[in-house]
Amino acid sequence: MFKKLYLVVAVLIIASMALSACQQAATPAPQEPAAPKIKVCQVTDTGGIDDKSFNATAWKGVEDAMKELGVEGKYLESQQQTDYEKNINAFIEDGCDLIVTVGFLLGDATKAAAEANPNQKFAIVDFAYDPTIPNVLGLTFATDQAAFLAGYAAAGATKTGKVGTFGGIQIPPVTVFMDGFALGVKYYNEKHGTNVEVLGWDVANQTGLFTGNFESTDDGRQLGQTLMDEGADIIMPVAGPVGLGTAAAVQERGNAWIIGVDTDWTISASQFTDVIFTSVLKRMDNAVFEAAKEVVEGTFKGGLYVGTLANDGVGIPEFLAGRISDDLKAELEQVKADIIAGKIKTTP
Amino acid sequence: MASTTNSQMFHKTFVRESPVRQRVMGAFFLLLALAIWFFFARSVDGGAISSFGLSTFQAKTQLDPWELPTLNTLYVLAIVCAVFGGIQLSRGFKKYTNAVLAVVVAIFVFGFLVWATAGKSLNLVGLFNTTLSKAVPITLGALSGILCERSGVVNIAIEGMMLSGAMVSALVGSLTQNAWVGLLCAVLTGALLAWVHGVFSIKYKTNQIISGTVINIFATGLTSYISAKFMQVYPALNNPPTFGAIAIPLLADIPVIGEIFFVNNLFVFAMFIFIIILQIALFQTRWGLRVRAVGEHPKAADTLGIDVFKTRYTSVILGGMMAGFAGAYFTLGSAGRFDEVMTAGRGFIGLAAMIFGNWIPTGGFAAGLLFGFADGLASRMAILGITIPSQFLLMLPYIATMIVLAGVIGKGHVPAADGIPYEKE
Repeated sequence: MFKKLYLVVAVLIIASMALSACQQAATPAPQEPAAPKIKVCQVTDTGGIDDKSFNATAWKGVEDAMKELGVEGKYLESQQQTDYEKNINAFIEDGCDLIVTVGFLLGDATKAAAEANPNQKFAIVDFAYDPTIPNVLGLTFATDQAAFLAGYAAAGATKTGKVGTFGGIQIPPVTVFMDGFALGVKYYNEKHGTNVEVLGWDVANQTGLFTGNFESTDDGRQLGQTLMDEGADIIMPVAGPVGLGTAAAVQERGNAWIIGVDTDWTISASQFTDVIFTSVLKRMDNAVFEAAKEVVEGTFKGGLYVGTLANDGVGIPEFLAGRISDDLKAELEQVKADIIAGKIKTTP
Repeated sequence: MASTTNSQMFHKTFVRESPVRQRVMGAFFLLLALAIWFFFARSVDGGAISSFGLSTFQAKTQLDPWELPTLNTLYVLAIVCAVFGGIQLSRGFKKYTNAVLAVVVAIFVFGFLVWATAGKSLNLVGLFNTTLSKAVPITLGALSGILCERSGVVNIAIEGMMLSGAMVSALVGSLTQNAWVGLLCAVLTGALLAWVHGVFSIKYKTNQIISGTVINIFATGLTSYISAKFMQVYPALNNPPTFGAIAIPLLADIPVIGEIFFVNNLFVFAMFIFIIILQIALFQTRWGLRVRAVGEHPKAADTLGIDVFKTRYTSVILGGMMAGFAGAYFTLGSAGRFDEVMTAGRGFIGLAAMIFGNWIPTGGFAAGLLFGFADGLASRMAILGITIPSQFLLMLPYIATMIVLAGVIGKGHVPAADGIPYEKE
């Protein structure tokens, strides 16, 4: 009887290990075999390649490069933080021309690998080294500029005089959205003499509303309801998939809007299109594509790339019908031009 | 009521309350009174008004907000606390100490709210409504734990069962475009995993913690795999219909109460029904007596002709069904989609609520409400701009747990045979 038991336990344990390890294998993307191609290889963060957020967006950049530049693209998913180094080394041995590491958390592993292999080219999303490393290109984004525009538009469109935001975890890549958003609202108030309130983020004290995780969509729903209860009618959740719970709450109650982050939610979360006000885009695909292009053209240099409104690294998409007035649209164009010209400050 | 034996035992320990406890409690009440005055009242503007919203914008009849002069209210609350403290110190509330403790803590929390809202407004109805819906998965998790543990099987796999239930309900709900079928499959998934747990811990007598852990890990791996490989790739597989909010006719129109209790989704109403059913079933029916007998002293139950194994299997599988149902809340009752590890530890907090609630359904609900309230409060505080770092606010529910588990409410009663496999001779 105990033999049977051991067997069952063993099978269960092996199955659970096998299942969690399943996504490990390098998946060569489908492409026609050809002469030695430039290889662009992506190491994801633990969210996985289909996270609808930064890993997926960065991979879209690699896919664009595959289509337009004819490079070969590969990716490895990191299941846990200890996989970072392993995956990077696997790609170095594989002879990749450019290794793209995605996410703030891969910063240390990328730095170590870059210093050990000075001839290997790297690009890292969301990380800026100080001082810069000659063979690493840091891809960073001035998301505050795009969030500023979204905040300005929200302040102009709110009916209750209150807009809301919340974040996942209080780290710089999250709070930079909230800063830009709140400052955009403030700028609108200054220009129009209105008194639109931002619930959930206090720029001066750097305190605000957070779920404490990037997983619990139920938290997102509750915070969405809370913000609506307190009178906010436009909400920007900066918390990955958690924000989709907020979108569900908004859709159910009506009378409110949601602002998407990272990607255009009318495409990536199209079931919520009717409640999406706009999205704050972080064009990681453009940045990764540019890095791949530089490698192909032989102009790759380490250092820092900053995505801004000026180079289309960040932005907001065209507003759908019924969101804002034409006057406000015209004002937004002006604000955008002023930000690009450096006349408006979008960080605290 | 059969539970009287339990509660009598419970109360006896308090009647023989030590003078030390009496004095400590009295001092604690006075301390809270002092804290209201020292931390809150001193830092408030004389003319400030705290405004509490009593209806959300959805309500048919909009009530005027309830406006309190902040400073005077705080003085009154501090004085009430101090009076309670004085009585407790001089002659003690004896067996009512716990009730008075609850009242004093409630007064303190209200004082905190009044202070935090000074010059601003806070929607009380919204706060209580969030509290209730936050309590749903936790309470259902606690009920699941109670079912298992009352029969003597420790089940820490509730989290995994919830997660699997959430995944299956989203998948099946999307495929059939029918929320009820999704819900049914979630319940069956919970039952299946519970049956596995039952086979391990009842038939093969393995360590129940290990069996539970294995199921948790297995559920996390399997659901994440299916989610990443299928549900995220084909959005049509991750778009189930949801159970929207239902307003109960007439009752929903009662001011304040109506909006808090009678405009909710299926899961909230189901939670109330399950609490009542389980409370009665456990303590007033033959079935409940048998379950408890098996959990307290399986050998005696066996001698009297109760089939220990069968009783345990039934309870564990029912518990698993409850956990599966709780899992469906996350997808069909809340977000309308599945995401990896979206249950975020609610199953484990449900277990804490079960212990906190002394293995009694209504107790588990009270604990669930407390967690829900702490959570809801934390987010309101952040909105009101109380300058406490968000990390500390997020700790609130866990601090509440630790204070409670540290014995503030006295010793709980664990089913005597909890976690011990029954060996039939």
